[in-house]
Amino acid sequence: MDGAPKSIRTDGLSLMGLNRTFKVEGRDIVALNNVSLECEPGSFTALIGPSGCGKSTLLRIIAGLEHPDRGTVLIGGSRPLEKCRQGALGVAFQDAALLPWRTVRHNIALPLQVLGRSLSEQTSRIEQLIELVGLKGFEDARPAQLSGGMRQRVAIARTLVTEPSVLLLDEPFGALDQILRRSMNLELQRIWLESRATTVLVTHGIDEALFLADRIVVMQRNPGRIACIIEVPFARPRRPELFAAREFHGLEDEVANQLFGAGGA
Amino acid sequence: MKAHWTLVLRVGLVLLAWEICGDFRLIAHGALPSPSDIVLQWWQDREVYPPHIAATLWPASIGFLLGNAIAIAAAIAFILAPTLERLMRGFNVAVFAIPPIAISPLLVITLPGIWPQITLAAISVYFPTMVMTLLGLRDVDPRPIAVIRSYGGGDFAVLRWLRLRSCLPGMMGGLRVAAPAAILGAILAEFGSGSRWGLGSFLLGSLGRGKPARIWGIGLAATAMAALAYALCALLAKRYTASAGSVTIAAGVAVEAPRHSGGRRLQELALSCAALVIPFIIWWAVLAGFRVSPVIARGPLAVLSYLTSGPEAADARGAILQALGQSLPWAGIGLVIALAVALLLAILGVLWRGVTTALMPVSLVLQTMPLVALTPIVVLLFGRGIATTLVVTVVVTFFPAFITIAQGLSQAPKPALDLLDVYGATRIQKLRFVSFPSCVPHVCAAARLVAPAALLGVMIAEWLATGYGLGNLLNEARGELDYGMIWAVAFVAIAVSVCFYQLVRLIETRLLKAFAPMAGA
Repeated sequence: MDGAPKSIRTDGLSLMGLNRTFKVEGRDIVALNNVSLECEPGSFTALIGPSGCGKSTLLRIIAGLEHPDRGTVLIGGSRPLEKCRQGALGVAFQDAALLPWRTVRHNIALPLQVLGRSLSEQTSRIEQLIELVGLKGFEDARPAQLSGGMRQRVAIARTLVTEPSVLLLDEPFGALDQILRRSMNLELQRIWLESRATTVLVTHGIDEALFLADRIVVMQRNPGRIACIIEVPFARPRRPELFAAREFHGLEDEVANQLFGAGGA
Repeated sequence: MKAHWTLVLRVGLVLLAWEICGDFRLIAHGALPSPSDIVLQWWQDREVYPPHIAATLWPASIGFLLGNAIAIAAAIAFILAPTLERLMRGFNVAVFAIPPIAISPLLVITLPGIWPQITLAAISVYFPTMVMTLLGLRDVDPRPIAVIRSYGGGDFAVLRWLRLRSCLPGMMGGLRVAAPAAILGAILAEFGSGSRWGLGSFLLGSLGRGKPARIWGIGLAATAMAALAYALCALLAKRYTASAGSVTIAAGVAVEAPRHSGGRRLQELALSCAALVIPFIIWWAVLAGFRVSPVIARGPLAVLSYLTSGPEAADARGAILQALGQSLPWAGIGLVIALAVALLLAILGVLWRGVTTALMPVSLVLQTMPLVALTPIVVLLFGRGIATTLVVTVVVTFFPAFITIAQGLSQAPKPALDLLDVYGATRIQKLRFVSFPSCVPHVCAAARLVAPAALLGVMIAEWLATGYGLGNLLNEARGELDYGMIWAVAFVAIAVSVCFYQLVRLIETRLLKAFAPMAGA
């Protein structure tokens, strides 16, 4: 995979004392209560927790899509909005969020156009990304012609097009079936190993989190908070056999205990 | 291929029946001429049709372009500045509710040359295009917005990369509805213009001549023009939208911007007051800007004093109130009948598909038919009494209502219907538990959309045929050059129409709370 995307630099993430409250029908819902977290440059962090624990809100705050009531987010020492404008962030959502009227190639190019960068210098890079996510031959297909997994790959390629130093993934494979999900996990690891961007992945899947992340942040709800952080010691690159390994299942049980034991849910 | 032949056979049978009815004067003593008579009359009039058509088409086209340019620019401005949309809401509703015939004489006396026609065509296209474009601009998938925002893109970036492109189907749908409306507007502005050319003038000039074939010919020619304009826009739209076929403006509550949280009541109140006053300011500013003689052009204050303190105030009020008393009940009754029949037929269409399949194409065609062209035909068939008023009103309001309601019924949530199927529900049960409740918003929208048309239908019938009510008062005032009365009637007609619209909205809001709890989400 020569000429594959490499991040020029990786930024660390630092979240300090984040608070966010929503008003629903007059009642206050505390989505985040005093959440602090440090992510080393080049690290892979998974956020896991029950629905309503604020993990997606946390990700949206890091991406600058929402603002905390209190607390700060620093990405490589800068505010999220500043980083956004440099194209330092790559965000993927549960839905591929592709523009239906654009081809694969043009969907991948969208961030460059928003940032006002020249497209002509990047055409070869876009071709490489299409190859990287295994969509060669589908450059001019439109989203409606692609399967769910292929659309999600386009979205992943789009997040990489600006050579981001931080990748924010909000359940990017949540809508895919288990089989497809596993192969996408393998591909994501491969892509991540090549880019080495600091990554935060929001997921519902314990196995997905264990397979991909350096550490797992378990969150709880009412109020949304960090319950504990579990280190994942497995060496990289991790191979599919890991899913069947005894240590893997041991750690899986530990995460499950933290998830179901602490909240009493 | 087989379907083609059945269609040809059916059309042939209808034409044959029509020919027989016409030739033997079977309907209303020859009020229905046979197709061959109409074609013959066309041939005899072949020299005069081209200038008449050109005289209508030219201003209609300019008005179409002008009105749509303003509508699209307004929609973009509204999406970028929601407060502006809030401020202009009164103006938008007023433009929607204006019965074109009410301001036609007023445009004729204030504007030179073909400008009355251009203006009325532009006013007729503004609302559908603006609403559909705004709806398209607003109704954007939120996830790509997040993608653009995560690269630091602001409102302009979202507009440029996302909204402008994704609003195209909506905008095209608006243009499609607007195209026949432009032609209708241009024709209506010929009423009382004294101009010799134009299909409207041709129609008016032929009314008392006892030549049904010519009146039918003009009506059909106008319909063909409107249908052609519709088809042209539909062809353009087809490139951008998968769901062609709709000829009504969207049923969604597009005029209302989403309410912002935070109960700043005082600010809301101030905005509402401003929205109420702005139409009057625009009215005053347009007159001032064009420097129209105050003898002819009356500003808001002049109309107010004409109705309250002027020398003929009491007489004028009396005449208008009497006319209102004659017009309003029929507009209301016509609206209710049209909605009831439309709902009934749409429901029957769910139970027996054939009903919808048969009615939908007819509705689509008649929707584009300029109703002025229809009125003389109704007069020929039903005489000059109340029956004509009622028939015109019902015909004008029925088809858009039917299309909107039938669409609502067909959009019943599929999973809910499947769920009922699991329990072996009958068609009636599915209708009762799912289809009907889920189409209540569409019934409300239909009522709101056609309420102003009901008043327009009544006024056209009164102007052309029956000699009662607001339409007649307007026609008489025009004949006597009673400028004060022309402005007063126009103002009252618009005010009544807006109130009508607001009343329906009020009922709609109540009903939607019960039937569409998700609508505000």
